[in-house]
Amino acid sequence: MNLSQGGAWRAAADGDRLLLAAVAGGAVLLLVVFVILPLWGILSYSLITPGGLGLGNYARYFGDPRFVSIIGNTFEVSLSVTAATIVLAYGFAYALERTRMPLRPLLRVVALLPIFAPSLVQALGLQFLLGRNGLVNRTFGTELDIYGFWGIFVADLLYAFPHAFLILSTALAVGDQRLYESAEALGASAWRSFRTVTLPATRYGIASATFVVFTIVITDFGNPVVIGGNYSVLAVEIYNQVSGQANFSMGAVIGVLLLFPAALAVVAERWIARHQHAAVGAQSVPLRARPNRRRDLLWLCYCLLVGAAILAVVAVVVYASFVRLWPYNLSLSLRHYAFDVQNGIAPLWTSIQVAFVTAGIAVVVVTLAAYANHQLSEAVKRPLYFLSILPAAVPGMVLGLGYILAFNDPAHPVYAIYDTMLIIAVCNVYHYHAQGFLLATTNMKQISRTFEEASATLGATRLGTLLRVTLPMIWPSVLAIGAFFFMRAMVTLSAVIFLITPSTQLAAVSVLYLDDRGALNQAAAFAVCIMATVIGFLLATQAVLRLAGVRQVSLIR
Amino acid sequence: MTGLPMKSWLGRTLAAATMSLFAAGSALAGTITVYTSYEEDELAAFLEEAKKDLPDVEVEVLRLSTGDLHARMLAEASNPKHDVIWGWAATSMVDPRILELVEAYEPAGIDKVPPRFRDAGNKWFATTGYMGAFCVNNAIMEADDLPMPASWQDLLKPEYEGRLVMPNPASSGTGYLHVVSILQMMGEEKGWAFLDALDKNMAQYIKSGSKPCNVASAGEYAIGISFALRAIKNIEEGYPITMVVPSEGAGHELEASALMASSQNKADARKFLDWTLSKAAAAEYNEWKSIVTMSDREMPERFLKAGLPADISTALFEVDYAWAAENRDRILAEWQKRYER
Repeated sequence: MNLSQGGAWRAAADGDRLLLAAVAGGAVLLLVVFVILPLWGILSYSLITPGGLGLGNYARYFGDPRFVSIIGNTFEVSLSVTAATIVLAYGFAYALERTRMPLRPLLRVVALLPIFAPSLVQALGLQFLLGRNGLVNRTFGTELDIYGFWGIFVADLLYAFPHAFLILSTALAVGDQRLYESAEALGASAWRSFRTVTLPATRYGIASATFVVFTIVITDFGNPVVIGGNYSVLAVEIYNQVSGQANFSMGAVIGVLLLFPAALAVVAERWIARHQHAAVGAQSVPLRARPNRRRDLLWLCYCLLVGAAILAVVAVVVYASFVRLWPYNLSLSLRHYAFDVQNGIAPLWTSIQVAFVTAGIAVVVVTLAAYANHQLSEAVKRPLYFLSILPAAVPGMVLGLGYILAFNDPAHPVYAIYDTMLIIAVCNVYHYHAQGFLLATTNMKQISRTFEEASATLGATRLGTLLRVTLPMIWPSVLAIGAFFFMRAMVTLSAVIFLITPSTQLAAVSVLYLDDRGALNQAAAFAVCIMATVIGFLLATQAVLRLAGVRQVSLIR
Repeated sequence: MTGLPMKSWLGRTLAAATMSLFAAGSALAGTITVYTSYEEDELAAFLEEAKKDLPDVEVEVLRLSTGDLHARMLAEASNPKHDVIWGWAATSMVDPRILELVEAYEPAGIDKVPPRFRDAGNKWFATTGYMGAFCVNNAIMEADDLPMPASWQDLLKPEYEGRLVMPNPASSGTGYLHVVSILQMMGEEKGWAFLDALDKNMAQYIKSGSKPCNVASAGEYAIGISFALRAIKNIEEGYPITMVVPSEGAGHELEASALMASSQNKADARKFLDWTLSKAAAAEYNEWKSIVTMSDREMPERFLKAGLPADISTALFEVDYAWAAENRDRILAEWQKRYER
């Protein structure tokens, strides 16, 4: 290597480092503005007491046995839902990715159904099905009472299932055929090869999924408020304090308390991640599941059972949207689709616009954050990583309030987009930043560095490698991330309720108010419109992919 | 589908998206922003009338529940976005943090509203209100051979155990009005003893005020303690329920309106507030509200049919709003200590 070559190389390397620093710095700056500033607004509220700044609110909180028992409830339900969701979703994802059972594409769509609908729909559907006057009790004369722990358990299980499934199926989709062939050659049983090959290879996915599900459940408000009965959890107590009693300080205290479990989850997740190796190397042989009649049939039964449960809840909501008066007059009617709310169907169009803007911004923001995180050294990337997944721990209501507190000030630069659709989109991006980031990270983790090192050795810059090697490998998952944000933006409720304006009303909020007004069938009908939009969007995108000649890519992965 | 409509749809969507992306909601001349907690359906009717009567004022409305609106207005307090508060719980309006934001105004026709329905300092006035009522599911009553309740006292009957639902006063204004009316009519000591006894029959305290009626309508529970108009609307929807106004007198809440001190368009904001007291507005209220404070009301036939008395004041317990507002924190803390699990 002569001198001039070395100089050029170094210059390219410097340019590289600059680019990486710019990407990482930009990501961190945006996270600070759109996550930390709002949280700071909330945190400072938690310290405001009648007697000046102090920890008085926290003392009051822990001095009250009722609040302490709410913490107990919250953990009880969050941990049990998380455990159940991971086990069920892992099985489901395994069956879809690692067997040749029939109906796989259909079952994939069914597994994702809950993600297409506002979380309220789970609770609404469960009430129609398992409520005291629900289909099951009316049909079988049973006296099931779903309200309380079990209501939240089932509703949140369904609600979190697709999120776990998405992450786990991404993790299970890739694997090295050679490992399984070696295991088989060495005489390992199916169970043993699962335990020694599959499970370790998907550890990172499991950790991510566990973390994501736990935080989704612990911060979920929609399900416990509808079907939780007298079983109080923290996220609902925030609502009690903030919206019920206009007690921002106590609401803020609970918001801050909810951040702690997330920090713990991060530590645990990091610990596991350090033991993770890339599952796919340059010499890997892509995994091909071989048919096995008995195994495939068993898995099919399992998946049909789980799928039926998911489908039933959604189907009953669709059904209810077409009947005259649930549950007393079940003759079919279209009358609930003539929405007699203030703006009629208009909020649906607004939601669609917001969803497109959200997806567009999110794809760039999240991919770059994950990319920087992937490239940076362990010590440097920690703050970026922490900031990226922090939003998962922030209940939507806290984030939404934080946005008002932080940005509703004409002197603030962000004020330029306040009161517009853009701030709602930005709020969505950062509300779901963690999930998107983890999807992107899980994917990058599984691309061996070998490819990138080879590319760098061949003289490519980081940008070149990103554009020509990394992106072509992960673009389906980038699209999937866009789809994920589109879906979230269509259905989210708790954060944006504080940011909507007269001219930017959203569909999910309409569902909430229709439900609250008692127009259950109309609420169901509006929810069906949302679901149809999301599914329609996915099908259209899939069709475009097919036309572009991409056949093997499943968009909703 | 041909290409053309698709294109124009796309064009419109894009145009709308661009507009709402970049046109920050600045106060245009002739435009006012109104925050309200009127229910969606009644709001739509009121607005239609307002559009007719105020052709040169563009009224932009944001509708949120009482609590969500309270939280939003407090959070926005440093830079309020609205010109008018319209039809929002009076017991929330008297929050000193809110009163600080509004400006005294004496709208035209305010003398039609008796003094007890407005602020002595003219900071707010209430043209409408809602009253508490029970929603009783006839199908369940019949199937399980239960007696129809007529009063609060009736609700203590042991056969109702696990069959009642009511709103949680800590998160619902309707829940609070019920608790306040009981404490005021019975006195605090007896009132709490009554609530203790009621708690034994209570299956659930629900977060929202209309939900108890809705779940009773859907047959999830037999009796939902809620408010009258919800019951009337659900009866009209076709649900098999009966509205019961407790014979001891029903608690009620006023829906108050006020002018924001920060308004950039006070001329139109005042015009709108004047309109809320107009004859035409009153005619609309009459169709939708159980309580209209402006004198000389004739109760619509359908309300009478559903069980409201011709003279609503005979059914109401006269709530002391000031007391309800001042003691709110204390009462809620006590209530939560006793009944929240």
